[in-house]
Amino acid sequence: MSLNKPTVVIVDDSSSVRTFFERAIRPLDVELEMFASANDAFTYLQTHKPALLFLDIIMPEKDGLTFLQELRHLPLHEDTPTVVISSKDYAQDRVAAKELGVVEFVAKPMSTKAIEELIVRYTASS
Amino acid sequence: MTNSYLRFWGVRGSYAAPQKTHLGVGGNTSCVEIRSGDHLLVCDGGTGIIPLGEELMANSDISEMLVVFTHYHWDHICGLPFFQPAFSPQWKIKFFGPGESAEDIESRLSNQMKAPYFPVETETWMADIEYISPSKTGITHGPMSLSFHNVHHPGVTYGYRIKVAGKNVIYVSDNEIDFLKSSIERRRDEFDDEEHELLEQIEIEERDAELDEIRGTDILIHDAQYTPHDYDKKRGWGHSCYVDAVNFAIDAEVKVLYLYHHDPTYDDEKINAIHHDCMQIVRERKSTMECHIAHEGLIVEL
Repeated sequence: MSLNKPTVVIVDDSSSVRTFFERAIRPLDVELEMFASANDAFTYLQTHKPALLFLDIIMPEKDGLTFLQELRHLPLHEDTPTVVISSKDYAQDRVAAKELGVVEFVAKPMSTKAIEELIVRYTASS
Repeated sequence: MTNSYLRFWGVRGSYAAPQKTHLGVGGNTSCVEIRSGDHLLVCDGGTGIIPLGEELMANSDISEMLVVFTHYHWDHICGLPFFQPAFSPQWKIKFFGPGESAEDIESRLSNQMKAPYFPVETETWMADIEYISPSKTGITHGPMSLSFHNVHHPGVTYGYRIKVAGKNVIYVSDNEIDFLKSSIERRRDEFDDEEHELLEQIEIEERDAELDEIRGTDILIHDAQYTPHDYDKKRGWGHSCYVDAVNFAIDAEVKVLYLYHHDPTYDDEKINAIHHDCMQIVRERKSTMECHIAHEGLIVEL
């Protein structure tokens, strides 16, 4: 992994959603780390701070909001820029995500263009 | 009655419906009792938990129970402040629901009993209360084992799979089926041709993941709150249309479906008509699935 490139992490159990992300980063100078498992992602994030984290809500092992709540307890991730991407697009989830300091809440599905724009916006200063 | 059964104490969604035109189905909100021998599991604490508590205080020879919550919307917790066993030192009650920790679960349950919303706080509960920490391995309660999964409803909401008496019972009180499918249909124009193929895969993955959670289960208790007409006006409210619920259960090869979380504005006649429609769908699809209306007082032997 290049030390100079910002890292973007995606946690989503959908392989097709992850494929969207693979397409989106092609023109970008970023590293992409993808996790299908919330638990595997949490282990990785205990020692890594990405420039941007994309997080699904409904996952088999743990919901994304509880995941983020736990992540925020780690000093390393008090302020990690996080985008929630979810098919579960309810106002109450948006409020809960906002309280956890997410920078964006985006309803699935996301186009590659929309993903690319978000990555550029939030990794520009990395 | 065998020593393993489930009983519906509250079957309404959203709010209680005590009108006499509704009482054939029942007016209390979500609460299901599951018994296996001396072990008692209660799913949700809507107003249905109030008569359950009265029954337990009057007739029960047990003194311990586990109460699990799908989520903390009022219709699922509002009976708890009136749940007599919680105020009795004879009882040991374990609580579980969505939350990061046992303290988190306690906070969510007890906040509804704080001033000015209720005259006494949970500190007045005299039962031996325990809040269970979330565990990756699920929960064991005597001969019953429980696991949970996330469902489509505002806020973190669980569905529960309960293994009891050699059977799988799945309790999904609140869930909007095919939410993503509707979202994709609405926004298809935003995507290019290559993305359209991926969208189809996403839709299939999401549907399969939802079906896998309930596939082949013996008994499914599922949200069927709306008619197609009402669902058109209430998409995104976190509840299912009964047509989707029946088709979903048939697709997952469920053996017995109980339509649950009935809309409080629907009277007995309307819910009977819903049942008639559901049976028609079952026949048209040549399914062997049993499909019933969950009604208050209904006991299902396990």
